[in-house]
Amino acid sequence: MERHLTAPGVRIRGLTVVYNTPSGELPAVSGVDLTLAPGTITGVVGESGSGKSTLALSMLNAVQPPGRISAGSVEIDGLGDVVRLRGEELRRTRGRKVGYVFQAAQNSLNPLKTIGAQLLDLGRSHDVGDLRALVRDARELLGRMGMDGARVLDSRQHELSGGMRQRVGIMFALVLDARVVVLDEPTTALDMITQATILRIIREVHDERALTTLVITHDVGAVAEVADDLAVMYGGRVVEHGPVAEVLGAPEHPYTRGLIRAIPRLSGDLGLARALPGRPPTLGTLPAAGCVFRERCESSLDLCRTAEPVPAARAGRTVACHLPGPHAVPVKRKEYA
Amino acid sequence: MITGTAITKTFRQRGGVLGHREVPALRGVDFAIERGGAVCFIGESGCGKTTLGRIIAGLETCDSGEIVIDGTPMSGLSPRRRRPYFRRVQMIHQDPYSALNPTRTIHQTLRAPLALRARQTGRPKPWIDARAEELLALVGIDPGYVLPRYPHQLSGGMRQRVVIARALTMDPEALVADEAVSMIDVSLRLGILALLRRLREQLGVGVLFITHDIATARYIGDESELYVLYRGQVVEHGPTETVINEPVHPYTQSLLSATPVLHGLERPGPDRIVPTEALDERHGDAGCLFARRCPLATERCERDRPVLGHDPAYPTTQRHACFHPRRRQVIPLAAGA
Amino acid sequence: MTVTALPGAAGRSRRATLRRNFWRGVWRVLRRKPSRMAGVAICALFAVMGVAGPLLYPAHLPRDDDALYAPPSLSHPFGTDFEGTDVLALVVTGSRYVLLTGLATAVITVALGTAVGLFAGFRRGWQDTLLMRLTDLNLAIPGLPLLLVLSTVWKFESPLEMGLVLGLLGWGGIARAVRSQTLSLRERGFIEAARGLGLPTTHIIGRELLPSMAPYIAMNMLIAVTGAVYAQVGLFFLGVLPFEANNWGVMLNLAVFSGGALTTPAALPYLLAPLLAILLLTLGIVLVVDAMDEIFNPRLREE
Repeated sequence: MERHLTAPGVRIRGLTVVYNTPSGELPAVSGVDLTLAPGTITGVVGESGSGKSTLALSMLNAVQPPGRISAGSVEIDGLGDVVRLRGEELRRTRGRKVGYVFQAAQNSLNPLKTIGAQLLDLGRSHDVGDLRALVRDARELLGRMGMDGARVLDSRQHELSGGMRQRVGIMFALVLDARVVVLDEPTTALDMITQATILRIIREVHDERALTTLVITHDVGAVAEVADDLAVMYGGRVVEHGPVAEVLGAPEHPYTRGLIRAIPRLSGDLGLARALPGRPPTLGTLPAAGCVFRERCESSLDLCRTAEPVPAARAGRTVACHLPGPHAVPVKRKEYA
Repeated sequence: MITGTAITKTFRQRGGVLGHREVPALRGVDFAIERGGAVCFIGESGCGKTTLGRIIAGLETCDSGEIVIDGTPMSGLSPRRRRPYFRRVQMIHQDPYSALNPTRTIHQTLRAPLALRARQTGRPKPWIDARAEELLALVGIDPGYVLPRYPHQLSGGMRQRVVIARALTMDPEALVADEAVSMIDVSLRLGILALLRRLREQLGVGVLFITHDIATARYIGDESELYVLYRGQVVEHGPTETVINEPVHPYTQSLLSATPVLHGLERPGPDRIVPTEALDERHGDAGCLFARRCPLATERCERDRPVLGHDPAYPTTQRHACFHPRRRQVIPLAAGA
Repeated sequence: MTVTALPGAAGRSRRATLRRNFWRGVWRVLRRKPSRMAGVAICALFAVMGVAGPLLYPAHLPRDDDALYAPPSLSHPFGTDFEGTDVLALVVTGSRYVLLTGLATAVITVALGTAVGLFAGFRRGWQDTLLMRLTDLNLAIPGLPLLLVLSTVWKFESPLEMGLVLGLLGWGGIARAVRSQTLSLRERGFIEAARGLGLPTTHIIGRELLPSMAPYIAMNMLIAVTGAVYAQVGLFFLGVLPFEANNWGVMLNLAVFSGGALTTPAALPYLLAPLLAILLLTLGIVLVVDAMDEIFNPRLREE
């Protein structure tokens, strides 16, 4: 199979996803603009309820009722606006153009069928002419990820460990040669060594196959290891988006700062580490006006109560905050520039 | 005070035609925890740490070895007479979502054990509700808000606090926290860890902290001890800070190397070790248990099993079970330094 | 000592609030779909029919010798039977026996099946093995032939006797299902936590396990009612049970075997009326069953 080795770019514009609840339609994602540069890995971080998984599902136009995409577009190079796709066209896009590794991919395999049988099902449902080639590709991919491909294809879910299932999930997302890949919490419930292995594999496969990758997680550490860009989500908004080293090294948004300070780390001062105060917002508890983060913010202004900050370019990234930057910690460009 | 001596446990798995396959989960583990002390057991999934925690909490029994609670050996007692001792060791489960009964309000959940406690200690009935509120306040949540609610109405962090409050109803001497923060948003983990630390100081409760994420062990408080478990054997043991900053066993070093680096804030340690293969219980039992995955293994490692102890040739604060101990700089360094 | 009395009162009022919230939740769940309300209405209709129906008619229903097998009319909405008795009156007065039997059967199957299943699943070990062999035995008993044999010596005059026999024959399936549910639930964190806290077994089974299975048990109970109705109506229809009092099964039997309802259209209303009643009852129950999951799950109830 000939592969044209240019990764597609993805442009999300004004994306709003609402969920129908007893108290009316509430936005889980509201007016998100996010550009994934071709060939990069973008990490989307946020707490539970930040809208990150909904954003990921929108990339496939796969938001399930009671949710729906109410506005905006997801433009993928060579594919157009995914939000407009319907029916058969949409089904073909999923898997063929956009690969998706589901949250808890460890448990999303059919326990009754061998991996190989599920692979053939996938191939048939996408009208793959040469199923032999598909199996060959799958075996190759699994081998690339450090597994015995033939053995894995003959196995059922329960015969594989958590890390192996995760790799099988990645194989399924890539085997139809999708160029845009979305991974939802790829390392949750894996131990550290397995997590490190999976992250390395994601990075290597991404580079080899010229992909554009989106990694969704609540663990900043996990994306810090693989991602080029980092988008921080809160209350359905992207509050900060920029190169990983810069966002982590000199966070501009107070939420990003709090998030980083809350990571249990091996080095660094124990006394400075602190959990984020308050609790993550849910659909119903989001403030109607002003900045969504203001109630947990350590330095909110009067302005924050009334006006919602608009994402604006500053310090080499996009930030949605009324507070003037830059902050005390200067960007250390010495090593990572 | 709780001590364990030479705890062993073997699971029998059904293995096809040839009958049972024996999987050693613990191979002679020793530990001791003081009043108000902290002990961390670290290892990847399948290393036996959860089994050990369950044995300490009295939810399972060991095949051989001895658990001594307050000077009373448990092996000589009948299950009925053991119960009051093990009630002093309470388990905090990993999953706060399944640890609370979804059909009962928090008030009902706390009331049942408190009523039992009131009967045991001859306290009047009104004490029960007062104590429930006191405990919730102690774990840092508003009793008025939480008591009438069902678990599904609380966030993960709150639920875990309720679980801790429930464990405290029995006035335990020690808490066994099995991956107590791994299912909670990263942003809130430090809050739970700080709570455990506070319970140590305020109530003199000992904490047995079981985790695969070695970084979280740092936050459990001063004077904690770290046990690194590998396939049921303690391979390194010492003060937490020492083991993290100056690890000598290659397995400890692999665990530390696997912890993600926050690029921008940190840079990788120069001596990172990547284990060669995934953990496989089918690896033979001859020689050092880690030899098959250890990049430094020699012929001697394949032949002999190192025992936990101090190496006179290479003096260290911590004990280890390795023929080739060497301090390595594996944890991330501050980015600027 | 008003101070010590207060928290107790608070506890009581808290429980009262909980109960009130529960019934409010039930109302909310039922109102969510019109079909559920219809189901409740149908079930209520049958309940009233069973309790008050026979009181509306004289002990001996009037016969009208001029109108044997009369077609449906205003005075006889479902026509009359072979003696000229109003079919609707027969359906109404016959409902008590049928419904009481169904209820008794359901209570016995569910109580026995749940108790056996819970105990076996929670205790495991030899008690489990023993109880499950008993369950297998129960499942293996051929119900219908046994009832035929029993009917030769027993007249089943009281609906409760009938219910008792049907219940004793039918608890096996529920026991199996409840046991497997218990086995999976007992591994859940909150059950393990309850054991770790040293809470008594009665508490764990009654307060922790049982409520989690309530929707399941309630569904089984409702479905057991329909099962029991079919079973006894079937028995009477076959004519294997001597009948003293009027009931739906008897009506079917007489309509088909005496009235020739399958061949002569005159007796057709006589046949269809009890069938319609059974159909309606089943429909009502099925519609209510749909709400059980939401009623007993606090999360679904509140939304």
